[in-house]
Amino acid sequence: MPISPSTADRAAPSRRTADAILTVGNIDMRFETPDGTLVAVDDVSFTVAPGEFLSVIGPSGCGKSTLFNVIGGLLGGYQGRVTVAGETITGPHASIGMVFQEESTFPWRTVTDNVAFPLELIGMPKQKRIERARHFIRLVGLDGFENRYPGELSGGMRQRVSLARTLASEPKILLMDEPFAALDEQTRLLLGDKVLQIQQDLKQTTLLITHNITEAVQMSDRILVMTYRPGKVKRIVDIDLPRPRTSEIVGSEAFGRYVAQIWADLREEASRGMQDDESRALHPGGARP
Amino acid sequence: MAETVRVKPAAHSALRLSPVTLLRVAIVLTLLACWELLAASGWLYRDVVPSLLAIGGAVYELLSHGEYYFNLGVTAGEIGVALLIGGTGGLLVGLALGANRFLSKAFESYLYYLGPTPKIIFFPIMIMWFGVGPGSKVAMGTISCFFPIVLSVAAGMRQIDKVLIRVGKSFRAGTWQMVMKIYLPAMRHPIINGVRLGLGVALIGTLLAETKLSNKGIGFLIIQAYSLFDMPRMYAMLIVLFVLSIGANALVGRLGGLDSIKRF
Ligand SMILES: Nc1ncnc2c1ncn2[C@@H]1O[C@H](COP(=O)(O)OP(=O)(O)O)[C@@H](O)[C@H]1O
Ligand SMILES: [Mg+2]
Repeated sequence: MPISPSTADRAAPSRRTADAILTVGNIDMRFETPDGTLVAVDDVSFTVAPGEFLSVIGPSGCGKSTLFNVIGGLLGGYQGRVTVAGETITGPHASIGMVFQEESTFPWRTVTDNVAFPLELIGMPKQKRIERARHFIRLVGLDGFENRYPGELSGGMRQRVSLARTLASEPKILLMDEPFAALDEQTRLLLGDKVLQIQQDLKQTTLLITHNITEAVQMSDRILVMTYRPGKVKRIVDIDLPRPRTSEIVGSEAFGRYVAQIWADLREEASRGMQDDESRALHPGGARP
Repeated sequence: MAETVRVKPAAHSALRLSPVTLLRVAIVLTLLACWELLAASGWLYRDVVPSLLAIGGAVYELLSHGEYYFNLGVTAGEIGVALLIGGTGGLLVGLALGANRFLSKAFESYLYYLGPTPKIIFFPIMIMWFGVGPGSKVAMGTISCFFPIVLSVAAGMRQIDKVLIRVGKSFRAGTWQMVMKIYLPAMRHPIINGVRLGLGVALIGTLLAETKLSNKGIGFLIIQAYSLFDMPRMYAMLIVLFVLSIGANALVGRLGGLDSIKRF
């Protein structure tokens, strides 16, 4: 195959380890299920440098969200170690901000009060936190909707409220778990641009979980491809494309090569996932292959 | 962007009556006409079905005497205290049951059995414990409203969108912050509903107890009017009570903001 992008071997120590803001070391997460032990995450290690945009890509059910919850400190009982700026996490860490895949705005709070939520928790005075919230509302382009309730907004706008809320807590590391998955294609593209622009402006260290290859290649500095059951790191791909990633670059041959390479990796895993689903549908309750 | 804001439905003009309202008015008018006919026909003892005029007079009579307001105050106070005690207890126990699978497995089925049991059977015990005065009425109101509130709170807690809890945890909210800023607001519908149901049964429990054995309160006045065979006065009290309980129910709904759709 005429593919030449540089790929980092997952076994080799990353050149970024020294100045890494986030290190994920040999994470293992198992779930006891009625059909036996399910290895959701198997020996996953990687590091993220400050300001870097890393995407994690893999078929559904490969353990992306589990990994995300481990890094976010929401899931215990794993083996391995996650450190943030050298500090091992034992629960939700102040430097990590999460945006969830599901609808997660508080329907009883206005846009402003939603975004001010993390500031309220740390006891910031009302006037000040409203000002801060307004800033992040503008940043995600929701000015004019400050006093609306989420029920009055579209899905894409609500997801921007969630993003602004997490940004308002000024996390050193932003974790996003398929934040655009429930949106229609146009909204998804526009919102992706917005996120990328904010990430570049703030030099925000970002981890994005996705199953959309184009999205991942367009946004990321590196892409981590996961295998399906057990969820291991299959490959980490450096995306050496200039920024800003304009539509010209997205249309370029180099871009296409990255997409093709990642699709080749992913295809194997996705088809294993599909076969697994089919066999489970045919033999419900049977032993897991 | 492919994003649209939901358009608010146009507000109904206050003057234009909807077909539903018209039908309701028609039904009430028909009932009143039937009542008046029945009163005029003389088929029943005149006193059992007094004319609307007599009832209207009795309502006026009732509302122009301080005695009625005193007894109304007694009953309202009993119900208020009952709702406060039963509501707080129901909320706390409901939160515990909703949060703890073990507790809920152990105790919740008893609550489901006790819930529909007519609470009046406990009245003799309450009289022995709290006397014939307002104390036993408050106790009856309390045990009446405890059950619907505890069951709706426990069910409501289990229905909270789990992602909202994860949001709170990821922002490192403390236990108290989780309860005040996430659990309680997320459970506003089941809580308001529980309080509404609780108010209804507290009203029933308290009034029923008053009609059985008491020396003040609306239930006491109603039974007194009945034993003196003062039917217009008795109907007058029923009507006023009916209007008041509709008002109280509407108030609870409004306090919780059930009317403003946008927040919910
Ligand atoms: N709490 C849990 N208990 C049991 N199995 C789980 C649990 N959470 C996730 N899993 C399983 O672990 C696997 C990985 O899930 P997840 O991390 O959500 O995948 P992804 O986000 O990549 O789609 C799936 O097979 C899922 O069914
Ligand atoms: Mg997922």
